[in-house]
Amino acid sequence: MKEITLTIDGKQCKGEHGDTILIVARKNDIYIPTLCYLEGLTPIGSCRMCVVEVENNSKLLTACTTPAKDGMVVHTQTETLFNYRKQMLELLFAGRNHFCMYCSQSGDCELQRLAIEHGMDHVRYPFLYSDFENDATHPDLQLDHNRCILCQRCIRVCAEKVGAHTLDLKDRGWNAKVTSDLGSKLGLSDTCVNCGACAQVCPTGTITIREFAYRGRRSDCDDVVESVCPLCAVGCKFSGYVRTGSIARVEGLGTEEHDGGQLCYKGRLELPRSTERDRIHVPMIREGAHYREASWEEALGLVAEQFSRATKKDNAGALVSSLCTDEELAVFSRFFRDAMGIKRLDTFDADLLRGFRDGFEPFRKQGVRPFTAAHNILESDCIVNLSANPDEEAPVIASYVRVGTLKNEASLVNISCRGNPFEGITDVDLRLKQPCGDAALLSELARTITSLKLAEDDIGKGTEALNDYRDALTKAAEFAGVEIDKLEKLIHCLMASKKPVFVLGRDVSTNPEGVTAAINLAIASGAFFDDGIGVVPLVSSGNSLGTINTVLADKAWLGKEDLDFLYVFSTGLIPEDEESLAAISRTRFVVVQSPYMAHPLVNMADVLLPAPAWYERSGHFCTIEGERRKLNVIVSPQGEIRSLSSVLGDVAKNLDVSLGKPEAAPCEQIYESHIAPNKAKMVELEEVSR
Amino acid sequence: MAKVKLATVWLEACAGCHMSFLDIDDKIVGLLDKVDILYSPVVDAKEIPKVDVGVISGGLGNEEELHLAKKMREQCDILVAWGDCAVFGGINSMRNFMSCAEALQEGYVNTPSTVNPEGVIPGEDIPALLPKAVPIDYAVKVDVYVPGCPPDPETILWVFQELLEGRIPKVPTDMMRYD
Repeated sequence: MKEITLTIDGKQCKGEHGDTILIVARKNDIYIPTLCYLEGLTPIGSCRMCVVEVENNSKLLTACTTPAKDGMVVHTQTETLFNYRKQMLELLFAGRNHFCMYCSQSGDCELQRLAIEHGMDHVRYPFLYSDFENDATHPDLQLDHNRCILCQRCIRVCAEKVGAHTLDLKDRGWNAKVTSDLGSKLGLSDTCVNCGACAQVCPTGTITIREFAYRGRRSDCDDVVESVCPLCAVGCKFSGYVRTGSIARVEGLGTEEHDGGQLCYKGRLELPRSTERDRIHVPMIREGAHYREASWEEALGLVAEQFSRATKKDNAGALVSSLCTDEELAVFSRFFRDAMGIKRLDTFDADLLRGFRDGFEPFRKQGVRPFTAAHNILESDCIVNLSANPDEEAPVIASYVRVGTLKNEASLVNISCRGNPFEGITDVDLRLKQPCGDAALLSELARTITSLKLAEDDIGKGTEALNDYRDALTKAAEFAGVEIDKLEKLIHCLMASKKPVFVLGRDVSTNPEGVTAAINLAIASGAFFDDGIGVVPLVSSGNSLGTINTVLADKAWLGKEDLDFLYVFSTGLIPEDEESLAAISRTRFVVVQSPYMAHPLVNMADVLLPAPAWYERSGHFCTIEGERRKLNVIVSPQGEIRSLSSVLGDVAKNLDVSLGKPEAAPCEQIYESHIAPNKAKMVELEEVSR
Repeated sequence: MAKVKLATVWLEACAGCHMSFLDIDDKIVGLLDKVDILYSPVVDAKEIPKVDVGVISGGLGNEEELHLAKKMREQCDILVAWGDCAVFGGINSMRNFMSCAEALQEGYVNTPSTVNPEGVIPGEDIPALLPKAVPIDYAVKVDVYVPGCPPDPETILWVFQELLEGRIPKVPTDMMRYD
C-alpha cells in the first residue's frame, strides 16, 4: 500500500492510499464529529457533520467520503465548520420531533451528544411539527419516525451485515422515511430476521428494542461484560450491560469487526429473557407427587447413596449439556469416568456431535483442521447450502450467506430434500428426491469435480478424458433425481469458484458418512481457507468441540437399557428431544441439576438441584472450528445455587473419592493440526450406504 | 448596592423548573442578599413590575401565556428562557400533531381519568389555545437560553451568578442537558 502524508490541523498525518480523510484523521487521533458514519458500513456522507475544509478547494468536503490525497492540507476545527455543523444539528432538531425528556435513548443519543458538544442551547429555525408515526407493530422493535435523522445506518447494516435488505428509504426531502419491505409496517415484514442490528446502530431513539427500553443508559450501568453466546455453534461475542443485577441491554461487537459484530434475535434477546425465567433456588427431594425442600447436605447424601448403589451394579449413567464450559466438562468426566468408572457419559445433541466427530476423524488423523470459521462464508465466491436451514439453526450464518451472495456476489447453491431457505437468491437449487445428506450423492458430486479437473489437465486425450466425468455426472443425477443440465450448472458454479464453502445442515451432520462425503466434496472443489477446509457445520451447542473431546460417548447408550441412576446436568436452553426424555423418565433414580423450574426434566427428577444459569457461569467454550472463547459471569448467582464442580466435589467427598484438580484441555490441541488445509486428501468411504 | 430585581413566571409547563430553582437549597439565602424576587409563583404579586431580570419557564400554548410572555419582555431588561418548554417547546408540543378541538376533546373528555359524562368542554372560562404550542422565542426576544427538563439547580444558580456579575451567560457544554 502506498503511504500518503496529509497535514490535518497542522499535524503531519500518515495514511494509506485509498483511505478517506476521516480514516486518516482517526488513525492519527484527530477527532472529527460524525453521525451517519459507522466503521464497517459504506460511508454515504449524508449527515454532513464530518465536513472539513481542504486548502485550495472552495467547497466544504465530507471527510467520510473524500479520498485522502498526498499533500492535502485539511482543517477540521475552524469557526466556519463549527457553525456549519451546529446549523446542521439545529435543522435536524427542527425537522423532526426530538424531545429528549421522554425518549428512552436520552443520554445514549449521538444526536443529543453532538448538539450539546456544539453548544446548541436553542434552535434558530421554526420547528416543522410534522406528525411522523411511531411504528409499534413489531413484537421486539419499535420504529419511531419522529426521531429519525435519516442517517441510514439501519438501512446499511440491514443490507451489508444482516443481508436481509428489509429496510430502505421512501419518499423525498422532509418526508423521507425509513420503510420496510415494499412499504409495509416493520411488524408485517417478510424479510426482517428480528436481529435488532438496526436498533444497535441507530444513533438516536428511532429504532429501539422494547426489552431494553428504559432499563438504563449505558452510562448508568454498573458493568459491561463481554461474553459469548452459547446458543449455537457460531458462538457470537457480545457485551452484556448490567444494572442493579439485571440485564439492561445486549450488544454485538461493532460493525467494523471482521464478522460484522452480528447477533441474531436469540443472542440479543435470550439473555434478558432467561433472567426472567422461574428458577430452582434450593435442593428438592421428591416425595410422592410433590417435592419438598431439602438442605444441600441431605440432598447430596441421598445422591451419593443412590449413585454408589447403582455403580456397584454397573447401572448408572450421566448426561451433561453441551452448553457447559470446558472446565465444567473436565470435572464432570473426571468424577464420573475417571473416579467412578462410569462408562455411560453423554450429552443431549449427541447424534449430531457424533456425526461430526466420526465424519471428520479421518481428516483429523491427517492433521488438518476440518472446519473454517463461519464468518469466512463472507470470503467465499460460491456458497453451497447442504440441506441446512441456517435461519433456524444459526441465524447469523444465514446473514453471512445472504451478505456473501448479495453484497459480495458469491454464487449460491442449495442442495436439499426440504425447501430452499434462500428462495429468490439462489443460482442453483437442487431439490433432492432421496433423504438429505446422502453420502452417495455427495461422493458422486466429488467424483464429477475431480474427474473434470483431471480431464482439463489431460486435454490432449480428447473427449475420452471426459468419460469418467460423464459417468459420475449421470450417476449423481440419478441419485439426486434431478436433470443433468441442472447438475452441470452446479458443477460449473463449483468449478468456476476459487473459494467455495459448504454449509452443513442437521441432516448431513447426523450421518458420519455424509460429513466425510461433504468434506471430500469440499476438498475436491478446492474449498480451502487459511484456518481450515471450507465446511461450516451447524451444530446446536456453543461448546461442541469441548463436548466431543470430553464426554461424548462412542455409541449412543441412552434408552438402550433401563438404568438405576442417572445424573442429568441441563442448562435449560435447548429443549431435550422426546426420546431422551422418555429414556430418562424410565430410569429408577434421576438427579436433575438445572437452573429453571419450567422444564420437562423437572418432573422426572427424584432429586432436583439448582444450577447456575449460563450467564452466571464462567469458563471456556471451544467452537467446532477450534476457537477457544471465554464465557464470563454476567450476573452472579443468588442464594443457594451451586456450580456443577462444587456439587460433584461434595458428592465425591461423600463417596470418599478424590477429584484432584481436573484441567480442561485447550482446544488448540484437539485437532493437532500441523498441515495446511489445502494439503488435505480425500478419504475413501469404505461402505457407502444406499 | 441596590438589589437586582427579579421576576419569574411559569407558563405552559409543569412546576419542574421552579422546583429545580428551589433545589439550590440554602444557597437561595445568599442569593436573596443580592436579589429581590418581586414576582413569581412563590411570591404573592398580581402584576409583573419593572425588573432587571425576567425568567420564563414553560412554553406558549394559549392567549394568556402569550400575553404574560409579552408583558414580561416589556417589564424586564434581560429575559431568560428556563427549561425545555420555554427553549424548545417541550412536552407541550405533543399536541401540535392534532387540531386544537381534538386536543380539548382529548384533555377534557377522552382521557381515562376524566369524569365528564356530558362531554362539556370549557369555552369562555379558559384562555383560547394558540394553534400550536411553541417555544417563547416565537413571540419574544430571548437573551439567555437555559435548556433542560428541568435544568440542574447548579446551572440555574450559575446563570444567576453570571447575571449578577454583569455577564450574559451561555450555558457551557458540561452543564447543558435536554432531559
